[in-house]
Amino acid sequence: MQRIIIWITWITKKPVLVLTAILLLTTAFVLVIAENASLETDLEAYMPSTHPAFIFSDDAEELFGIEDSILIAISHPETIYNEETLAKIARISTELPERFEEIEAGSITSLHTADNITSSDWGLEVEPFYTNAPSKETELQELRKKVESNEMVYGRTVSTDGTAALILAELGEGSFSETFYNDLKAYAAELEGPETIYIAGQPVVEGELARLGPRDMMLMAPIVLVLMTIILLLLLRSIRDTIINLIIVLIGTAAAFGLMGILKVPIYAVDTMIPVMLIAIGVAYGIHMHNAIHHLVREEPRITKQQLIEKTLQAMIRPVSMAAVTTAIGFTALITSQILPVRYFGLFAALGVIVEMILALILFPLAIQVLGPPKKTHEKEDEYLDEVTKKDQQLMQRRPGRRILDHPIIVGTLAALITAAALVGSSKVWIDTSFLANFQKDSDIVRTDTFVNTYFGGTSALNVILTADKNDRFKDPEVLTLLDTMQKTITEAPVVGGSFSLADFMRRMNSVMHEEQEEWNTVPESRELAAQYLLLYEMSGDPETLNRVIDYDYRTANLTFQLKSDSSAVMQTIINDIKTYTEEFANLGITIQFAGGGYKALVFADLLMEGQIASLALSFVIVALLLTLLFRSILIGIVGTIPIAVTAVVNFGTMGLLGIPLSSATALISSIAIGIGVDYAIHLIEHYRIRRLEGYAIQDAAHETLIHTGRAILYNAAAVMGGFAVLLFSVFPPNRQVGGLIALNMAVSAAGTLTVLMLVITALDKRGRFLKITKDYLDPENLEISKT
Amino acid sequence: MKKPGILLFALILASAAAAGTLAARTLTGMEVMEHVYTRPTGDTMYAELIMTITNSRGSTRDRSITQYRISDDAAGIEKKIMFFTAPADVRNTSFLSWSYTDGRSNEQWMYLPALRRVKRIAAGNTSDSFMGSDFTYDDMGERHPSEDTHIILREELYEGSNCIVVESRPKDSSCPYSRTLSWVVKDEWIGLKKEYYDDSGKLVKTLNIDDAKRVDGYWVIGDMTMSDLQKKSTTRIRMENVNFSRSLDDSLFTERQMKIGPPR
Repeated sequence: MQRIIIWITWITKKPVLVLTAILLLTTAFVLVIAENASLETDLEAYMPSTHPAFIFSDDAEELFGIEDSILIAISHPETIYNEETLAKIARISTELPERFEEIEAGSITSLHTADNITSSDWGLEVEPFYTNAPSKETELQELRKKVESNEMVYGRTVSTDGTAALILAELGEGSFSETFYNDLKAYAAELEGPETIYIAGQPVVEGELARLGPRDMMLMAPIVLVLMTIILLLLLRSIRDTIINLIIVLIGTAAAFGLMGILKVPIYAVDTMIPVMLIAIGVAYGIHMHNAIHHLVREEPRITKQQLIEKTLQAMIRPVSMAAVTTAIGFTALITSQILPVRYFGLFAALGVIVEMILALILFPLAIQVLGPPKKTHEKEDEYLDEVTKKDQQLMQRRPGRRILDHPIIVGTLAALITAAALVGSSKVWIDTSFLANFQKDSDIVRTDTFVNTYFGGTSALNVILTADKNDRFKDPEVLTLLDTMQKTITEAPVVGGSFSLADFMRRMNSVMHEEQEEWNTVPESRELAAQYLLLYEMSGDPETLNRVIDYDYRTANLTFQLKSDSSAVMQTIINDIKTYTEEFANLGITIQFAGGGYKALVFADLLMEGQIASLALSFVIVALLLTLLFRSILIGIVGTIPIAVTAVVNFGTMGLLGIPLSSATALISSIAIGIGVDYAIHLIEHYRIRRLEGYAIQDAAHETLIHTGRAILYNAAAVMGGFAVLLFSVFPPNRQVGGLIALNMAVSAAGTLTVLMLVITALDKRGRFLKITKDYLDPENLEISKT
Repeated sequence: MKKPGILLFALILASAAAAGTLAARTLTGMEVMEHVYTRPTGDTMYAELIMTITNSRGSTRDRSITQYRISDDAAGIEKKIMFFTAPADVRNTSFLSWSYTDGRSNEQWMYLPALRRVKRIAAGNTSDSFMGSDFTYDDMGERHPSEDTHIILREELYEGSNCIVVESRPKDSSCPYSRTLSWVVKDEWIGLKKEYYDDSGKLVKTLNIDDAKRVDGYWVIGDMTMSDLQKKSTTRIRMENVNFSRSLDDSLFTERQMKIGPPR
């Protein structure tokens, strides 16, 4: 340690060199960021592509051409069955792939592109509903009749009341962009009147979410920083230390993102949490440094620059580096997550923490070197110092924290009650990746989505992939009947707005071949008939449509359910309902699997939850191990994790009780428990240990620790909470949750450390389980410093 | 952006061709394609077809069909009846078509044995897929040369045959292709290869004739493959046991026969 002190002391004597180096590095980072600052908004990029569920889904998506669709709803105040509206539907259907390269040619589904399978007097026809919009009233009524008698479009592409029509356009993977969305909106606006045009669909919701979240965070970040600066100024009463604090968090963040840029790691939406973590943690390091320096100055008013630097470093290198290294390793545990962006988050947050530690250890001594020891504004220094000492003594006499220290049972009971309540709440934590839930209820996106969900099948889709053990199985009546039965039963759920499968084709063909008699609206009763219908359909229609529901070998079928909600929790219940058919299908040699974007989001959410809990548990173990090594005591290793445990439990408990769903952003907030909890625990234990070694009695050491470390902890919590409280006023609901949860985590970490941890330490100490152990490993060097 | 370049290229080729080897000839592109269209195909024909459709994932659908054709040039009518022999679940499904040379649209019927009913089916678009394959009705030889404009690009040796390369551009802009190139064997008037280009000038489909032979004096394409380069699917049609000498009765091409099945 002595060598590090010498080294840092030497460095502080070269302020120009150090500042130039820092400035150059920071400029380099900022330049790299400026060049690479493109946010990865494609959610597919978050998915672990090697996971079996994803591999299967991707394959099924390719097989059946399953793509996320943009939904364009055109609504007329009276009826869409008029020449102008029908012409607009035709126009949009034709123009979309021409105007927008994102939209795949031939992927449009609308009343204009749909095939109408009918039986006329003279035979079977598969023809469009209309090519040129009819103008005569009789023709319009005839078209309406055609639509209403064909359940393959009625209620699907035209609303049952005839006032709205839907145009579906498939997007190539990851081709949604802000420009595309804006162009599409402009195009829709051009065509509006008297109709209203709505644009909805999963790509819009996901794209807007990925864009708006970070944008809102960017807008809020400066406000967070300004507010935090004000609070720091008020608390620290030092412009110099406030500025250093800001430099630490800003450069720490720049370093994390700069390194991402240099290593060509894309920036994901979850990475907006990196600055959040680095601000909370960086400010903690700064405040502890500030506290130590001012403490030393007060104890020794005439201390020289050199002495001050040395003593500060001697007192702080150990706790600051221990805290930083432990936090960094705790974050690094996130690389066990199956989700790539979460791994990167852990890695680069850890790097940022280390950079912040180095900066805190260099910049404060450097400031002393350049600007001298912190000056007091008071003219009569001695008087001031007397006053301060007196104040401290008075403070000690008042025995700060006595309410805590003297009532261990009450505090313990309270803490136990809160923890128990939080544990109950934790069990209620629900995972939800409803993207839509992230928007304000009165936002355009939500209104559009509600409209489409009211008039049509739904904006989200679940694909059920049925795979048979041999070819041609899906021509068999028993298989088709079961498929039809399951489809009908599941569609009865109110949240399911529609469904589509081979069974629909079969029923339609059967009915049409029997003059559309309702009793023939069933699946064909023999395999031959099914095969011949399929052949007939291929001979007379557009075989591409069939490729969406059945594969070439009639072995794998795709059943699509349209859902009126994009909540993964809703999808999970539907999946569970579908799974009740597992055995019946298994008896026919058919397995049920799932596919599609919505399903992948669900699997993703599960992985996220599992991963987060696993990494959190791992971090917890790592932190306990490191603390054990650092303090050479298993007991302290365990005790030291109290603030982390309490914070994590209360965090999840509050989420459960308030119904905040676990999402990629909220899941990562619990990591703050590690970063801050470790920091608080180490500083508290270290400070207390040193006081005890200096000869303080247990109670006095506790009071003194609460005055000094306690103050630093409270300052840190207050500054970070105050800053992030701004997010509560964000227009973006998930950012409000982030703000609220960070404030909560800071408060709980601080409270947990200053009450429970403090009490447990003194309790252990009273039983001789604390100092006895620590004495064994004290190195003379430390002892010497502590006694000065 | 690409279009002018290709146009220019085509123009240069065309003018070079006009100025060069073909300058002395009187044969026009239209004449070449007329020759191909009117190449004698016999008054009757019996053939066994095997159609193999392979999709981008390598899955295949095989269909075996027995086909009879009768042509009455005087009446301007061609009748075809096809009986599916495989796969088993569509055996005896039959397909009847009457096509007219006077521009009337085709009439088509289908008989489903499982339903015991004959259904007339709409003729649809000639650019529609033929039996769900990569061939369209146009590709099956039903496109009249007058629907396109044709120019001869060059003559070249293709697979040992002296071929005229004809470029055809549709007159109707709604056609899915902007142009096609055909390799036609000189004086035999049989095509050996055809390339289809879309609006942006990209090659989207190719037709390769892998086996063409004379049977009873008529040209028969024994093996051809259409490849859709975008869908990455192929359709191979093989024709076996071709016979032009059978005398076929008009009563074979009726709804009644569709139900009875192929004659013994």
